[in-house]
Amino acid sequence: MTGVLDISGDHLFDAVFHAIQTGIFILDYQTHTIVDINPLALKILGYKKEEVVGKVCHEFICPSKVGSCPITDLHKTIDNSEKEVIHATGKRIPVLKTQVTVKIQDRDYIIESFTDFSDHMKAENQKVVLIGVLTDAMSRICRPLELTRMNLQIVADQIKTGEFDPEEIRMELQIQANNIDQMIKNLEELNASALKEQTEIPPEFREFLLRK
Amino acid sequence: MLSLPEHVNTMNVSVIKKSLASGCIPVIVSVNMPYKILARVYGREGIDPAMWYVIDAVTNYSGGDTTPNPHVRFITTPSNLTDMGIAITEMLKVIPGTEKCIVFDSVSMLLIHTPTVTASKFLHFVINKLKILDVAGIFLCVEKGLDPVVLSQMTAFVDKIVDFESMDKTAREK
Repeated sequence: MTGVLDISGDHLFDAVFHAIQTGIFILDYQTHTIVDINPLALKILGYKKEEVVGKVCHEFICPSKVGSCPITDLHKTIDNSEKEVIHATGKRIPVLKTQVTVKIQDRDYIIESFTDFSDHMKAENQKVVLIGVLTDAMSRICRPLELTRMNLQIVADQIKTGEFDPEEIRMELQIQANNIDQMIKNLEELNASALKEQTEIPPEFREFLLRK
Repeated sequence: MLSLPEHVNTMNVSVIKKSLASGCIPVIVSVNMPYKILARVYGREGIDPAMWYVIDAVTNYSGGDTTPNPHVRFITTPSNLTDMGIAITEMLKVIPGTEKCIVFDSVSMLLIHTPTVTASKFLHFVINKLKILDVAGIFLCVEKGLDPVVLSQMTAFVDKIVDFESMDKTAREK
């Protein structure tokens, strides 16, 4: 272990630190350099320990947040939030992160723990897509079906009057038949888009559909 | 203009009568009823066939007769928005007089034929064109039949949303 933190003699801490299914960083409070990192955090980030320890946290776990650390800059004692960490490949991984200040051997540290939030985000995106599909289904299938039912009723009434010739009635029925065909295609199209995995949902669209 | 599904046709006739009464020649963009049926329906209501024009997107779609007629512009299908846009521009040019308006029947039926996003863009395009030409446009819709995206965009582009149901009965029938 590098840096000033030395708690390697604490077997209980060691066991927890290595086995816990949460990614953990230990940062120097003053310099924001990474003092230690547990195996799960390394696995999520795709780095080796020597590539991370001694580096500043912004490069890995606080992207674009230089100068706005909730603990040292915004003076919170604990922070829980949805953030992103940066994988070795450059890919940003959504995480639920908690930061807290602790004192170990008379020195201040920031403990950052996080859990991979990707599956939750995928499910959330899928929910947005499904709401979008349902909204579209209402306007592209449900309302048109109401209008088609009404149009067929009008055609039935027109036949009763005897004023309309057979070709006119045929045209009207053909339009309704074609429209029903199109609605079936719309349903298939909406079904396909509901099944497609969506990774990028524009935040404005998400807010609009979820009426946040 | 919004109405209940069962009042869409009544709303159409009411709008045409009001347009003519105010000296405005209507051009109906029909994605629901073919020209021949419109002619019969309007004829029954005493509307002079020489006083209105139609861009008919459904006669060809139904395999009907599309013999050229100076009052009608036929489009292949209601999904052919390019031809529909061109037809609107050209029709407005050839109609004599200065007072004319577009009656779109209906936005709800257009959504069968085109995705919501495309319909929204097209309606934006049409409304802009009408504003440039200083021509009034009335877009008939089934109440609650519109996707919130389309409705919110149309709300931003149109001058007023009118609820046909809330108009008093005599005003609707005039």
